[in-house]
Amino acid sequence: MSTPLIHMLVTRKLGIQGTWASKKRILFNVLLISIVVGALVFAQMFVVSMSNGIANKYALLGNGHIQIHENQETEITVGEYISDMQFVAQAFALVYSPTKNQMVRLKGVGPTYFNEQRLGELTLLDTELVSDGSTLPQVLISTSLANLLCVGQGDRIALMMINNNTLRPQLVIIKNLYDSGYKELDEQLVFCDYSLMERLFSNKADTYYELLVDDDKIETVKSSLQSQGLSVTSWDEENYSVATNLNTSKQAVLGVMLVVAVLCGYFISELSREMIEDDKHKIAMLKLLGAKDSLIRRVYFTTVMLVTVLSVVLGTSIGIFMGMNLGNLLSLLAKQSIPALSFYLLDFVIVIPYMEIALILLVLLIVGALSILWSLRRVHKIDLLSCTHFD
Amino acid sequence: MMKSNEILSLREVSKSFSATERGGEPIQILDSVNLTLQSATSIAITGKSGSGKSTLLQISAGLLSLDKGVVLFDQKNLTDLKDDQLSKIRSKSMGFIFQSSLLLDDFTALENVQIPAMIAGVSEKLAKERALELLEQVGLSNRLTHKSDQLSGGERQRVAIARSLVNRPLVLFADEPTGSLDERNAAVIEDMLLDLVQEKQVALMLITHNNAFASRCSHVYHLHDRHVEVFA
Repeated sequence: MSTPLIHMLVTRKLGIQGTWASKKRILFNVLLISIVVGALVFAQMFVVSMSNGIANKYALLGNGHIQIHENQETEITVGEYISDMQFVAQAFALVYSPTKNQMVRLKGVGPTYFNEQRLGELTLLDTELVSDGSTLPQVLISTSLANLLCVGQGDRIALMMINNNTLRPQLVIIKNLYDSGYKELDEQLVFCDYSLMERLFSNKADTYYELLVDDDKIETVKSSLQSQGLSVTSWDEENYSVATNLNTSKQAVLGVMLVVAVLCGYFISELSREMIEDDKHKIAMLKLLGAKDSLIRRVYFTTVMLVTVLSVVLGTSIGIFMGMNLGNLLSLLAKQSIPALSFYLLDFVIVIPYMEIALILLVLLIVGALSILWSLRRVHKIDLLSCTHFD
Repeated sequence: MMKSNEILSLREVSKSFSATERGGEPIQILDSVNLTLQSATSIAITGKSGSGKSTLLQISAGLLSLDKGVVLFDQKNLTDLKDDQLSKIRSKSMGFIFQSSLLLDDFTALENVQIPAMIAGVSEKLAKERALELLEQVGLSNRLTHKSDQLSGGERQRVAIARSLVNRPLVLFADEPTGSLDERNAAVIEDMLLDLVQEKQVALMLITHNNAFASRCSHVYHLHDRHVEVFA
């Protein structure tokens, strides 16, 4: 088949040196497909970034990426990929303010716990409490919990803990307030000094080593530690329902995106159907001049696929551009403290989920190509005499 | 068997159409028509409107199926050929001119002439050379880059003539080529067509109402009452 001929016919179909009508039709379709692809890419980036953000909050503030359930005397070899290891204690407690109460998870941490990585996940009030000479232990609670309990920095609250089947009250003072941006986590997490936990629970609190590792090395490190005979869990095992929900949500959203991609692929074939319908006369003319159906199908397939690929590239670029600037928009929204958005995480690192985006685009292109081929069957049905006027 | 210089031969060809889309009693258009066209000669088919002249041309070119009979084109029975084989014959051995010039309106005059050659597998360069030569012969060398809507009716028809000859066909099928032109343009096209056909040694099958134009062909056939009669 003549490549220059196909090139000549395709460029004209694309509107290059063609009529304004053909240019307009192509531009309209490029715009439409780009918008859909852009929205898909943007939505996928948003969902994956938010899920990762939530997972990160739980991992960094909740339990660490990996937990080693051994006592402090156990010798642990810190291998590569581990950026931090802290020995922490945790217990559940009821916290009372003068007007409200709430069940919380009390976490005792050492002085080096809030390193740069963890501080990056939360915002602390600018000013710390200046000691008023009180000997009361100090705790760090979230602004969400403070709002729930109607208390603020410097206020006193009571902790009611169960120790050896006895209830033990402890009055504490709120040293500072933090905000991780994720209300679900913040409302139930209270930090205190590890020494306080030791004192309150007489070494009977649940203790473990909390490790921060590179995201993609969690399983490697876990296996390595298990091979040393240590009792190890990862953050998703400790927060099973949260991790499962996040995964299910991501899969469900990806499924919806794929369905939209399939529909978009089908829509693309509408372009080829429309082109063939409009060009019936020209196609009949080309057939009369001796063009085989395969040549005509190749011209239309190439044209529509070029439009599709161009739109996909453009749409992906738009989606990624919008996604990368999402952080600014979310920061702005977070600052507005809009009540309707209070349950959503608005502070997370934007990631580009290459695999998911590639999958969506691949499905779109495959469905598009197949539906174009299907729609091109009608080329054969065009009567080559339909272009002529006979008496 | 075809005689050695016969390029087209219709034998006992019959054709009928359904009266309505839903069927009904078929209308017989052609009944046992016999016709031959020899290389580098011309025949004209005349007849009243609706007599089946165009149907006869379409059957002769393999564009329309027939109910009965045989159409032999360059030793090949067109009724036995598949779509792709017919496309190849149309591309390499047939040229067409219709009442309406039927140009591809996205393309220039030069490209309209060039495209059939490229469909036939001629290289882009050679196709362009041939197109330029033919357009010069039909007096349109100053209209090469003009598109269909920038050309007059006569000019469009001249492009169509150039296009029909670009693959050096064995037979040129012309259906009322001057039917939509005024008298002066019609005369120019008639002269040009007959001169080129003679010069290029192409056989011509011409459908026309114009007896004067028909009489300039080697043979004239008259289609009447489903049969072909030798008129002159």
